[in-house]
Amino acid sequence: MLDLIIRNGLVVDGTGLPAYRADVAVAGGRIRRIGQVNEPAHREINAEGLAVAPGFIDPHTHFDAQILWDAHAKPALAHGVTTIVPGNCSLSLAPLKAKHRNKLVGMFNQIEEMPLKAFEVGVQWNWESFEDYLARLAEDLAINVAPLVGHSLLRLWVMDDAATQRSATDAEVGAMQALLRRCLEAGAVGLSTSFVDVDERLRPVPSRFADFRELDALASVLSEFGRMLQVVPEFYDTDLNIARVDQLAELSLKHGIPTTFSPLFVSSDQRIDAERVMARVGEQFARGARVWPQVQTRPIDISFSFAVPSLLFIRLPSWYRVMRFGSHEEIVAAFRNPDSRRQMVAEAASMPDLWPGLRLRQAQSEANRPLVGKTLAEIAELRQSTPVESMIDLSLEEDLDAHFLSADMAHNDDARVGGLLAHPQVHVGASDGGAHILSFSTYGDTGYLFSRFVRETGALSLEGAVKKITSDTASIWGLGDRGLLQSGCAADIAIFDPTAIDRGEEYAARDVPGDGSRYVRDAKGIDTVIVGGEVAWSAADGYTDARRGALLPGAAS
Amino acid sequence: MASTNSTDPIPARRSISPQDGDDWASIAARELRGTPAEEAVNLLQSWNLHVFMRPAADSAGQGNPILPSDIIFVEPPPAERP
Ligand SMILES: [Zn+2]
Repeated sequence: MLDLIIRNGLVVDGTGLPAYRADVAVAGGRIRRIGQVNEPAHREINAEGLAVAPGFIDPHTHFDAQILWDAHAKPALAHGVTTIVPGNCSLSLAPLKAKHRNKLVGMFNQIEEMPLKAFEVGVQWNWESFEDYLARLAEDLAINVAPLVGHSLLRLWVMDDAATQRSATDAEVGAMQALLRRCLEAGAVGLSTSFVDVDERLRPVPSRFADFRELDALASVLSEFGRMLQVVPEFYDTDLNIARVDQLAELSLKHGIPTTFSPLFVSSDQRIDAERVMARVGEQFARGARVWPQVQTRPIDISFSFAVPSLLFIRLPSWYRVMRFGSHEEIVAAFRNPDSRRQMVAEAASMPDLWPGLRLRQAQSEANRPLVGKTLAEIAELRQSTPVESMIDLSLEEDLDAHFLSADMAHNDDARVGGLLAHPQVHVGASDGGAHILSFSTYGDTGYLFSRFVRETGALSLEGAVKKITSDTASIWGLGDRGLLQSGCAADIAIFDPTAIDRGEEYAARDVPGDGSRYVRDAKGIDTVIVGGEVAWSAADGYTDARRGALLPGAAS
Repeated sequence: MASTNSTDPIPARRSISPQDGDDWASIAARELRGTPAEEAVNLLQSWNLHVFMRPAADSAGQGNPILPSDIIFVEPPPAERP
């Protein structure tokens, strides 16, 4: 007796080969057969008119904390994602000594914009080692998790306060190697590091105090397991990004490991030239290196206020000083002072692309609340002012607690983004799922891949798009029997309508522990999501009680 | 096709990783030999605004903003080369 048969669907098997009509039989958590199936099963799903594909794999997330209070990593699972990789960007939740917990939560708050309250209320810290963290995760998982170890955590564990002061001694490097080895033995999928992030005091994260010798030593441990090195490069500058590509290639060739960097953006900013970075990536692949750039599907939307450091205007000289070094009072003073204000307004006019789409997203005062949702151009018209002046006035009226949203800021050139997404040396990812929950919604990037780049622009075929986010990802990350619909593979399956799959509108959901909210998007066109052979979510019934999520790749044997 | 025999690609822009204790002066002395010390430091700083412009809070402190993981360019951007 089979557990499940999916009948009459269009099998898009993850190889990139043409889709075909067949039944898919599942038993014991695995795919048993694909073809015409005549045996009985406990459950049948009619997939007439629907695509039956491997579950999607999201290689760049920060679900580390959320997965502790939400076994489904909502709403990722409902979008067809059956495997997530947390622990990116040098930050994971283990290995972590109790005394470093506050420090780590501060970094998650600063870098990934995750509320402190959510950690306070949602996380019961009952582990220190990576093994114990994995054991804790395994208690309640509806989605597969392939966790990275954060380099900053290795440094904190071994070096304490010195982690953010200096490079490591040989003995400390040796201790970090031993610790990383233990994590990989327990089942980590690789190591993550960052060259750009700053902590809660705006000081560089621990991983940035590592010299190349330390990174090389850690890569040699990855080599024992053939595991991944993920980095955040200086993505805002092409020369720097290329220098990092070269560094990664050196490590990849020397140690025989895969590496990936994220993000790689398309931008009209001359300092960011994705095509030049790709040319270098191509040269390094030609040498036999593996340096996978991660490219996200969605355009960049950014929310900001002047109450917290914002990078938006930092390239403008008169804004730079006050935004980088100014206290709250100094920013207010710079906005009030007619001279500095005049100069800031004049310089801001040099960002013409910004102003038409900029909206007031949030305001606290009764007077300004009716303006929420309007563009600054509309508000300027009401006030007989200009968009820039209105932004400054609103900020002053709200004591800097006015929030603005700039949609489609960059990475919105469909031809260039589509070209990258379809490129054989590009890894589709970088969703940042679970992070930045108050700035934008990171969910639905997979649906957007199909709606925009398969249906609208035709940059990828249905089969090509599925391959990009299933078997390519599994191969790049060494996830064994995932990412393909073939007899014997794990039964992680997404059933969807290829004419309708999409991301829904962004909205605020109040589902964060500690009474917090976040921006999310519902899935469109997804019918059923199966993890480990059991239905984990369906359009008809929502999230189920199935708990077949696995830790990948699993303990090293 | 991939081949490990192909020659190394030409560096896009020459850079170094800092050595232990490096500051602008020590890198300038090592990498820009022949250029007067002060001028060499100025050049290095102008080629490495990502480090030089780093605010005090976002640095290793003690007035030396160079981090062990930094990439330090030792020549100008391609567009500015003679
Ligand atoms: Zn990240």
